[in-house]
Amino acid sequence: MNDKSPTPAELTILIAGGVMLIASFFRFEGDTSVWGKYVFPVAALLPLYGVIMALEVACTSLAGMKLPRRVAGFTWEQIHLVLGLMAGLMAVAWFVTDTGKKPIGQWIEVAGGIALAVGAVRMQRERHTGAVG
Amino acid sequence: MSRKLSPPNIAILAGGALMLLGSFFAFYEYKIGGVSAGSSNAWDHGLFMVATLPALLGAFMALQVALQAFSNIDMPPRLLGLTWDQVHVVLSFQAALLMLAWFVRARPGFAELHIAFGAGYWLMAVATIVLVVAALMRTAATRRRPRAV
Repeated sequence: MNDKSPTPAELTILIAGGVMLIASFFRFEGDTSVWGKYVFPVAALLPLYGVIMALEVACTSLAGMKLPRRVAGFTWEQIHLVLGLMAGLMAVAWFVTDTGKKPIGQWIEVAGGIALAVGAVRMQRERHTGAVG
Repeated sequence: MSRKLSPPNIAILAGGALMLLGSFFAFYEYKIGGVSAGSSNAWDHGLFMVATLPALLGAFMALQVALQAFSNIDMPPRLLGLTWDQVHVVLSFQAALLMLAWFVRARPGFAELHIAFGAGYWLMAVATIVLVVAALMRTAATRRRPRAV
C-alpha cells in the first residue's frame, strides 16, 4: 500500500468512477440499465470512462503501482483530461437527449460524467501540467 | 491567407463535412411490413444530442483545419496541453467509438415494425473512418517532419 493520501482531484475521480459503476446497474432509460438491451453500449461508455480513470488513480495513488509514463504518446494526466472531458460531453449529451422521464441511474451517470470532467481539470492544476489556467 | 492543405487535412475537411451532411440524412429508417414508415435523422427527437455528438466532433475537426488554412486567425500551438494532432486523434476516436456503439446497440422492433440504419448513419460511419485515418496520418506526418535544432 502507498502511504500517500489521494488529492482532492484524485478523490473526485475515484468517487465518481465508483459511483458511476454502481449506478450503471440502476435504471438508465425506461426499464433498462446501461448494460441492458437497446441501451448498451452507447450509454455504457460513460461508466466505462469513469472506471478506467478511477482504476488508474487507485493503482497509482492508493496501491502505489508504477505504470508506464506514457500510453500511445499521451501522459496519464492527458488521458485523464481527455477521458474526463469526453465523459462530461457525453453526460451533457444524455442530459439534453429526450429519453422520456429520466430514471435515477441516468441522473447519477450525468452527474458522474460532469464530476469526472471537473476532477480531470483539477488534476491538471494539482500536478502543474500547464494544460489549464 | 490560404496555405497549401496536406492530404490528411483535406481528408479531415472532407470527412467533417460529410459527417455533418450525413447527420441530416436518415439515421434510422422505419418499415412496417416492408413498407417505408418514415425515418429520423441525428437531429430528431430522441436522437439529438447523443447521435449528433459524433457529427459535432467531426465538424469541430474540420473547422479547426479550415480556420488554420483559410483564415488569419492565429491558432495556439496547443489546446488544453494537447497538440492539435493529439486533439484530432482524440476527437476522431471518440466519434468512431460512438458510431461503433450505435452499430452494436440492438435496435428495438415491434411485431411488424422493422428499424434499420439509414443512409445518414452509413455516411457518418464512413466519414468517421476517414477522420480516424486522416488524424493518424497527420500525426505520422508530423513525426516524420525534421525539427529545427
